Amino acid sequence: MSGFRLSNLGERRPIRFTFNGKTYHGQEGDTLASALLANGVSVVARSFKYHRPRGIFSAGSEEPSALVTLQKGARTEPNIRATEIELYDGLEARSQNCWPSVNFDVMAVNQLPGKAFTAGFYYKTFMGPKLSGHAATKFWESCEYFIRRAAGLGKAALEPDPDRYGQMNAYCDVLVVGSGAAGLAAARRAADAGADVILCEERPVLGGSLNSAPDYLDSEPAPNYAANVVAELSAMENVRLLARTTVQSYFDDNTFLAVERVNDHKKVPAAHEVRQRAWTIRAKSVVVATGALERPIVFAGNDRPGVMLADAARRYAVEYGAAPGKSVVVFTNNDTGWLAARDMARAGVIITAIVDVRRDVPEAMRKAGEETHASLYMGAAVSKTSGGNSLKSVQIVDFNETTGEVGGTRASEPCDCLAVSGGWSPAFHLTSQQGGKPHWDAELQAFLPGEPTQKWHGCGAMAGKFGLRAAFRSGEEAAVKALVDAGFGEGEGNIPDIDGDAIDYAPAPVFEINCGGKAFVDLQHDVTADDVRLAHREGFVSVEHLKRYTTLGMATDQGKTSNITGLAIMADTHGQSIPDTGTTRFRPPYTPVTLGTLAGSRYGHLSSERRTPMHDWHVEHGARMYANGPWMRPESYNRPGETVTQAYIREARAVRKSVGIVDVSTLGKIDVQGPDAGEFLNRLYTNGFAKLPVGKARYGLMLREDGVLFDDGTTWRLDENRYLMTTTTAGAGHVMEHLEYLRDVVWPDLRVALTSVSDQWAGAAVAGPKARAVLEACISDCDVSHEGLPFMGVRDGVVDGIPVKIARLSFSGELAYEVYCGAHYGLQLWEALMAAGKPFHITPYGLEALGTLRIEKGHVAGPELDGRTTPYDLGLGGMVLSKKNFVGAALLKRETFHKDGRLQMVAVKSLDGARVVGGSHLVAGGRDEPGRSQGHTTSTCYSPELECYISLALLENGSKRHGEKLYAANPVRNAHTHVEVVSPHMVDPDGGRMHV
Amino acid sequence: MSNLPEPKSPLHDLAMPDTFAVGDEKAVGLTLEDRLPASLVQVQAWPDTVSNVEKAIIETAGTDATIMPSGPGRWLIETDEERLEEVLRGAIATDMGAVADLTHGRVVVTLSGEKAIWVLASGFALDFSLKAFPVGDTRLSHHHELSATILRTGENTFDLYVFTSYARGFWHWITNAAREVGYEVI
Repeated sequence: MSGFRLSNLGERRPIRFTFNGKTYHGQEGDTLASALLANGVSVVARSFKYHRPRGIFSAGSEEPSALVTLQKGARTEPNIRATEIELYDGLEARSQNCWPSVNFDVMAVNQLPGKAFTAGFYYKTFMGPKLSGHAATKFWESCEYFIRRAAGLGKAALEPDPDRYGQMNAYCDVLVVGSGAAGLAAARRAADAGADVILCEERPVLGGSLNSAPDYLDSEPAPNYAANVVAELSAMENVRLLARTTVQSYFDDNTFLAVERVNDHKKVPAAHEVRQRAWTIRAKSVVVATGALERPIVFAGNDRPGVMLADAARRYAVEYGAAPGKSVVVFTNNDTGWLAARDMARAGVIITAIVDVRRDVPEAMRKAGEETHASLYMGAAVSKTSGGNSLKSVQIVDFNETTGEVGGTRASEPCDCLAVSGGWSPAFHLTSQQGGKPHWDAELQAFLPGEPTQKWHGCGAMAGKFGLRAAFRSGEEAAVKALVDAGFGEGEGNIPDIDGDAIDYAPAPVFEINCGGKAFVDLQHDVTADDVRLAHREGFVSVEHLKRYTTLGMATDQGKTSNITGLAIMADTHGQSIPDTGTTRFRPPYTPVTLGTLAGSRYGHLSSERRTPMHDWHVEHGARMYANGPWMRPESYNRPGETVTQAYIREARAVRKSVGIVDVSTLGKIDVQGPDAGEFLNRLYTNGFAKLPVGKARYGLMLREDGVLFDDGTTWRLDENRYLMTTTTAGAGHVMEHLEYLRDVVWPDLRVALTSVSDQWAGAAVAGPKARAVLEACISDCDVSHEGLPFMGVRDGVVDGIPVKIARLSFSGELAYEVYCGAHYGLQLWEALMAAGKPFHITPYGLEALGTLRIEKGHVAGPELDGRTTPYDLGLGGMVLSKKNFVGAALLKRETFHKDGRLQMVAVKSLDGARVVGGSHLVAGGRDEPGRSQGHTTSTCYSPELECYISLALLENGSKRHGEKLYAANPVRNAHTHVEVVSPHMVDPDGGRMHV
Repeated sequence: MSNLPEPKSPLHDLAMPDTFAVGDEKAVGLTLEDRLPASLVQVQAWPDTVSNVEKAIIETAGTDATIMPSGPGRWLIETDEERLEEVLRGAIATDMGAVADLTHGRVVVTLSGEKAIWVLASGFALDFSLKAFPVGDTRLSHHHELSATILRTGENTFDLYVFTSYARGFWHWITNAAREVGYEVI
């Protein structure tokens, strides 16, 4: 031990950890920061820009300086605040942004150019005219690599994160954020009234500032009182206590994101445990009791290791038993600095001096000061610090708090810690996220939260109610308002008797001791007071511009300790008041959040995939599965050594020559029922459905309201008032939404029920000359002869004991049947059809072969229904009935849809044996002078039937250009294929094969 | 209809009986069980036939039926009667409402145990408190794009009606979520 460990907490379990490879010992209850202080470690980090040595500045989530990297390998986590890391056995932490070590960092040379590296350095140095083809100036491009290496924070792991992250939804009547005096009072009152309460506290132990307060509450020491209230709350069924939980974001409708660090205090969570959990909390009302953040005073050398916030120094001594220094000077502009000095002294810390900018302080403060036996400097200020990697002394000067003038040197006080208090800023970050404009309180010299825009109620220091009495009182008042919001009675009050300090929290309006030298406003981004003044001289008058030009208040701490001092200096420079200068708005999250926590389990196999009942069969038989919309479908069933192309050619040939089978369970299926179902479909489709006979199916085209093709598919009439509509696999969801919109909004008078039955039915299409023979071999209770089941006919039957519906439909152009059954029989049906087809060498085929067969036939699919085409463009104008109205009918008549030169569907055949690459442009010229694009290919394949590469295409006036020779040009893939334009109906154009 | 072959659940090879206890205490926070409904039918009434259809369902489906409201004038009905669709279709003519069989469209996963709510709430944005979601009530919700109809059958027992094609994805999710508290598949 280095002599920094105090005895006020007694013996605690020792904990071994390493920092920068060196082994240290802390004790149970320590944070990494308190343990480092207890071990006398002064330099913890290097600053962002200048690589200046930095120590521990605060004791909480506001920490700007002491950022470290935790763990190693895949669990490496950079930029973690040492002040929040709970110490555990085996903890490994290291400094970042330094080389070769944190104590001697070569890049500290950045400090030498001095004023060259001021605000705007990058804008002035690297911005300028760019050369053609360059994204930035050449100078920047040549420097960027080195600059990015020199500046910055830690490095994230490149390996996948091995930890699990959880998510949780929670609802409550009253959410209380913060568990200090105000939060505990609010939670207790709300809980006693019967409300469901969630109480969140970012620290590991609930109680907030009570845990280190010297006061007595109901004759109990404050920490004991807090523990008793917490125990009382934890025993209540209507209360959920969430420690280690930071409420990060406040969204609309009183919805909050809170992050619970469930197992960050362990080296490795158990395999079943989550590391962090993202809570989405929806609350009827909210009590915001987030306290206040102490702010520093700006002076030369105020970033030197050993300079820290006064209350942080106090907490390290009182709460953690770690002396912030062996010889401490306190510099303050308010009473809390005096009490910090007294409390530290009571814990055993040597206070050598108290420096206050005020000429006089209340008698109680003088007594507190006298208790420390420190030298007292009134009407004085610390003007600069001395030392290297640690603080050696501070210079104390006369100071006029009214004029801000600095006088002569009064003393030089040796010390290794300077505890600074510049007043308190209410932490209203959450409510600011919701837009309430903060207002300035001249007495407290602080912004207070604005008017609520949602049901939240501030209390305690967050609302400017400083001190324990005000905290308890305002906490209960806020709870009463929240209870009313949530529909409860007011409950009963329970404010304790308080025996403790009664102090005035109003500070003297002193933010900076301006004596020259490098005085830092924002320690995290190395923004100095001179940077703020420079921004003013360069014309940045808005506080928003100041922020962006200097980067003040950016980065991981979002300016928690720098915003107000920066504003004050800017206001002074402008000759304005602080409220006239304005303030920026806080945005979520309150502290940095690990991406894994936000993502939760939303990765890998947990993304939603739809599988058909035959999925495993496909995989077991060599299918490469492929995502088609949300569904997984077989791409092709590759035999050993076979490529996808070879497989789909073999499969498509088998269909044309004998018989194939394809899983069509994925097609969208919508049950359309009701007395007006026929009328509904008739208004929906371009072609007629009112007279479709029962037991027949019809192919239909659906348009958007603007006349563009939306989806296609067959609809089967099952009985007088019941239809089964099929849609494309990927379009099913959109079609269902479209139909529901039309039914609910456009035609609410129609009695139509729409039910998605996509999951109810599994289906297989059996296609090929032997398709009927296959069915005849396995079906009963159904005549599948040409007469018994004509083209587009629909019948019921039984296959292997399974009730089925059979429709004689063809997408391939061959004799084909779609057979559907209840999905839980899907695999049995498939296997029965496979068995029946065995004598005919039935071949399962995948999406590639399915596509090949329909391309050969000129049947349209998704690539042709591209959101721009009309039925006329695709040669389907004959399906548009002019005598009836339907969705899209009016706008389909638009002149632009009938103009000469529209892209119309054709097919192209390769003339030179080369592949027609998908997405190629159709051009008239060769590679050297291709000419303009006259169209493009849409769906391409090798045609086993035609023994050449073919493609469907959209070509200007295509229907009149059959026989023309063009080129399919795809420069990106270095393809320029000579093609002939032909009719899209390349195989069996008269459809004879389907009608046998 | 008793000659029908045995239907096959998409979870047949996933939801195998096993115990995944966690921690030193070998905790098991909930049990999971899957089943296929014998009959699951959706009935949709027209705006002016809601009460008549509701009455018809109660009279026809039998006292053992589970009747779950699933929208305005819409119910999901489960029974052990395999002919439920036919029976309901006989009782509810087209001018009263529409009957659609969804027996094969859903798989039922039952969660039971002290941690059932914890696991469900980790995915579904629903208030599972008894006053907001009483026993016997039904909720339709979704997460990770996985839809489910959730029936509360007890304080800590829930039946989740999950789309058949998403059942495996749902099972992966629920078992992943339940890992933290331990679970048993029965």
